[in-house]
Amino acid sequence: MGILEETPQPVTLQALARRVSAALADTSLFNVWVVAELSDLRVNHGHCYLELMEKHPSTGAILARMRAVIWANVFPRINADFLSTTGQRLASGIKVMVCGTVNYHPAFGMSFVISAIDPAFTMGEAERRRREILRKLQIEGVLELNRSIEWPDVPNRIAIISAPGAAGYGDFIHQLYTNPSGLRFHTQLFPAVMQGERTSPSVIAALDSIAAGMDEFDCVVIIRGGGATSDLLAFDDYELAANIAQFPLPVVIGIGHERDTTVLDYVANMRVKTPTAAAEWLIARGENALAALRRIGAEILQCATDKIAAANTQLAYLDSTLAMAPAAALQRASSRIHNATVSLAGSSARLIAPQLARLEATATSIATAAHTATRRALDRLEARTSLLQALSPEATLRRGYTITTCNGRAVTSISQLSPDAEITTHLADGTVTSTITSTQHHN
Amino acid sequence: MEPTNPQFTPLQQLSYNQAVSELDAILRNMQGDNCDIDRLTIYTRRATELIAECRRRLTATDEELRAILADLEK
Repeated sequence: MGILEETPQPVTLQALARRVSAALADTSLFNVWVVAELSDLRVNHGHCYLELMEKHPSTGAILARMRAVIWANVFPRINADFLSTTGQRLASGIKVMVCGTVNYHPAFGMSFVISAIDPAFTMGEAERRRREILRKLQIEGVLELNRSIEWPDVPNRIAIISAPGAAGYGDFIHQLYTNPSGLRFHTQLFPAVMQGERTSPSVIAALDSIAAGMDEFDCVVIIRGGGATSDLLAFDDYELAANIAQFPLPVVIGIGHERDTTVLDYVANMRVKTPTAAAEWLIARGENALAALRRIGAEILQCATDKIAAANTQLAYLDSTLAMAPAAALQRASSRIHNATVSLAGSSARLIAPQLARLEATATSIATAAHTATRRALDRLEARTSLLQALSPEATLRRGYTITTCNGRAVTSISQLSPDAEITTHLADGTVTSTITSTQHHN
Repeated sequence: MEPTNPQFTPLQQLSYNQAVSELDAILRNMQGDNCDIDRLTIYTRRATELIAECRRRLTATDEELRAILADLEK
């Protein structure tokens, strides 16, 4: 009995499985909302098989992993809802909030049967991620760099990053080269993968090629797709956003989905919804430039026309004035002469009469003055004559004085004379000649 | 008196922006009061040439366009 009691009583695997199954029949495992990351997603016969994972937030180490399935009866609806709300497909790497029940099947093991997915959670998750990338770019001071680049007046040399065969690329090129204004564009395609994990490195490589020859281009246009479905997750990438933010040429982003944005929309210089819109925007810039040329041409024409019209008006005026000018000038000249004559006559009478009166008065006074002056001169002359007569040598001689000369010269000093010299003494009525016997000096 | 012709830069040596700036300058000059009527023709002709050159640079001829489109369809 002892041995029997100690001998294990095995159950069949199926029995064990039933026990597990029974143990899992707990309401706490029914319709549970779980947050997890999707992995190894594949669709087979309409059923979607996948794995749910939880990773360590900083190390990335797997903390939990569970098989999951979305049965074909609900998968198309869940998938379509998710895509239309979030703009992306269910794919590996996406964080989701799913509702399901833990199920254990004796033959297939345990799996989480998903009955619903909340796309709003994924949207919020993507939004949180975008905000984080933008915040990082802001802190690094590069967020606004590309947005603040000035556009050339007419950007017409365009580097395009796109998948070569994409419908969007074709739309863009067709729109650009069939623009009604005949605007000239130069385009060069830099091919890149535009979806999935390789998107970011592939687009960055294309940007690097453009940067190597950036003098050849005015701007970069990043476009993709044409289909309604789009997987924008790959574009919410820090490396790619940082590259675009710091790219030296203005970048136009046309990868969008109608409603959704990616971080690239915030860092690129220009965001448009579709490749066609990107082309239209570039065409509009060219057409603005053409319109500006037309406007300036019209203004210059107007200006020249106005100037010529003004000159013509002036000429016409001069012409008509000129016809009458000689007669008018003669008229003016003759009346000027007449006026001059009249005023001359008036002024001569006014000016000459007093002059004449003054002249007559002057003549009279000159005569008087002359007479007076002559009289005075005669008087003075007579007075002088009397004086002269009184002072003359003859008068002196008559008063008894004599003049002695020797050899014809008047003797005024004894030193002029010597004994035996002959001297002549002049009297008033005759002369005496004597010979000197002696001379004597006064002391 | 014959006015001395202003020295114009050959069109090929002008960038698009330089050409547009020169157009603006000509217009301002022509709108000014001291615009010489003798030079009106010279400036108008220069402006016409500048506009034609700018337009030529912006637009492609039909022939060019056909060639580009044919190229793209290869």
